[in-house]
Amino acid sequence: MKRIKITIIASIILLMCSGEGFSENLPKIHGFVEEAFAPRFGSDDVRHRQFNMAEGRLQLKTKYYFDDESILSDWQTELSVKSDFVLDFYSAGKVLTDLRELNVSFTPADIVDVKIGRQVLTWGTGDYLFLNDLFPKDYISFFIGREDEYLKKPSDALRVMFYPEWFNLDVAVVPFFEPDNTPTGYRLSFFDSFQGGIAGVNSERDIIEPSRTAKNMVYAGRAYRNFGSYESALYYYRGFDPSPRSYKNEAGRQLYHERMDAYGGSVRGPVLGGIGNAEVSYYHSPEDNSGDIRTIQNSRTKYLIGYDKDMGNDLSLGFQYYVEEIMDYNEYRRALLPADYRWDEFRHVVTNRITKLLAGQTVRLSLFTFFSPTDLDAYIRPSIVWYVTDAWTLSVGANLPWGKDSWTEFGGMQKNKNVYVRLRYGF
Amino acid sequence: MSTRQKSILILTVVAALLMCNQVSFAEDANEIVKKADHAAYYKSDSGRADVTMEITDSLGRTRNRKMAILRLDVKDGAEQKFYVYFHEPNDVKGMSYLVWKQIGKDDDRWLYLPAMDLVRRVSASDKRSSFVGTNFVYEDISGRGTEEDEHSLLEEEDGKYKIKSVPKDLGSVEFSYFISWIDKSNYMPVKAEYYDKQGKLYRTIEAVEVKDIKGYPTITKMKATDLNSGGNTVSEFSNVDYDIDVEENIFTERFLRRPPRKYIEG
Repeated sequence: MKRIKITIIASIILLMCSGEGFSENLPKIHGFVEEAFAPRFGSDDVRHRQFNMAEGRLQLKTKYYFDDESILSDWQTELSVKSDFVLDFYSAGKVLTDLRELNVSFTPADIVDVKIGRQVLTWGTGDYLFLNDLFPKDYISFFIGREDEYLKKPSDALRVMFYPEWFNLDVAVVPFFEPDNTPTGYRLSFFDSFQGGIAGVNSERDIIEPSRTAKNMVYAGRAYRNFGSYESALYYYRGFDPSPRSYKNEAGRQLYHERMDAYGGSVRGPVLGGIGNAEVSYYHSPEDNSGDIRTIQNSRTKYLIGYDKDMGNDLSLGFQYYVEEIMDYNEYRRALLPADYRWDEFRHVVTNRITKLLAGQTVRLSLFTFFSPTDLDAYIRPSIVWYVTDAWTLSVGANLPWGKDSWTEFGGMQKNKNVYVRLRYGF
Repeated sequence: MSTRQKSILILTVVAALLMCNQVSFAEDANEIVKKADHAAYYKSDSGRADVTMEITDSLGRTRNRKMAILRLDVKDGAEQKFYVYFHEPNDVKGMSYLVWKQIGKDDDRWLYLPAMDLVRRVSASDKRSSFVGTNFVYEDISGRGTEEDEHSLLEEEDGKYKIKSVPKDLGSVEFSYFISWIDKSNYMPVKAEYYDKQGKLYRTIEAVEVKDIKGYPTITKMKATDLNSGGNTVSEFSNVDYDIDVEENIFTERFLRRPPRKYIEG
């Protein structure tokens, strides 16, 4: 860890010193310093701290452009570095380095852009709902109240983007599968099927990640084009389930990320004075083709429609309707043992986003709500962001998951209710 | 002809003359407004500028915005494409913004958030909302369709046309009418006053400095004042250029993700 930190600082200094005109070519360093605190409330005997987050964060980022008379300059090569240094009081004041970007972008041909290195990858049309975007997410950051940026985990990838006349093609190759960050019981409690309920530090799961071999490389692709104001896209993914949902060895409490392929499509464009979107994705589970293996996740299909409208006076509203379907449901049901938890064939979720800007757009009120009428669970995320000055930002918000049962997605998170405060100085 | 008949005839002629006059005034006003729209928003078929905006609130506190704006006319006097790259403040630095200005329907807008690699489609039905927190509204930046208002020429003063514009759809805007002053020599709009539904003046925009750039009269400094809140925004344009030979494909998702340095660094 220390070595990474030193390497980053050294590369930033090297970048600053390189180039002929020292001061002229000095890459500008930007970033922010942030203090964040999230006390949790409600009774919870499965965790050891009274807060979900208490950290100081420094982010530094810079870009370097190769302007010398070389092929790097002809290719408009750009080096991008962004790293966070976190003093984490949750982990007894440990300093953690979170290298978020270290990549090189270049244009080797008129219709090709390439980006190699650590980068954040995103596509798809959902708002906090991801169907074809199977790049890694950090749900721990999401639930403890970090900035939205941290919901996306970076990937170490090669991304090649082709732009021929009549469509665009985006291909990402990720040599080593990177899983989502999901609650482990350390910082956030969750529903642990081995414990038969919500578990915290008492959870003793063993999660097996795919081995780092050539056949376990992850590939993702997107072909897209616009038709006038309408955007359309087709998606492909070959990799692993980003969350560990299948059992390797139940007696040994071992979970693993089963192989997964995804095929999907989306459209987005103006509808009735707003923006409408629709997306679908079929997740094929090749290790459980016919859906009758009890320990392995079945194939699934996810459907989404959404609508977003600017109501005027800096008020905007967004709605989404989302459905998850378990395929081969009869086979799934027949394979279950009497003591197993049984998922419904369909899971319906509606979301709602309300955003209102006030005081010359210096205050942003926002409310995002997830609600599942089938699971009877919900997750409410209110927030107020005050842009005190151009440099200072104060954010206050809450994470309020709730559920009738403990084994549903948000119900399993119900003991993680918290409020958070973040104060940031940007430079 | 009796006196009565005579007076009717005279009245008819006067009325006809008046009507004629009004018609010709109305035509003139529409012509002038179209020319002013062209002078303000369609100079050359492409252009760029570095823009700084200083927002001052009623207590004198200031905020700053800095961006580069790139423009391409798809059709002269009609559809246009804009590319905006934000340099400041820090929390929006690196974001890029794409607008396809449409005529007769909502514009298409996309915002790219580099921290999340997210291309967000922005719903854009309200063109009267503030542009990035300034006292300018979207329509001040990209223009207001001349066909959306009824224009009439009030008078000519100090070498300027004074035009009154009344929106055809009063429900779609926050003003009841606005008065603009257009320079007769080059058709540049140099001042506008907006009146609220009670007929009270509440907002002004004025050109503080006009320069000739590549033969195009160009506003290089303008000020928007909100008389209700007491705040104002001063916008300055530098490194202005026209006929920049920018390709249309710059105005696509590709370049949202990979900002074209040649155009955004003035």
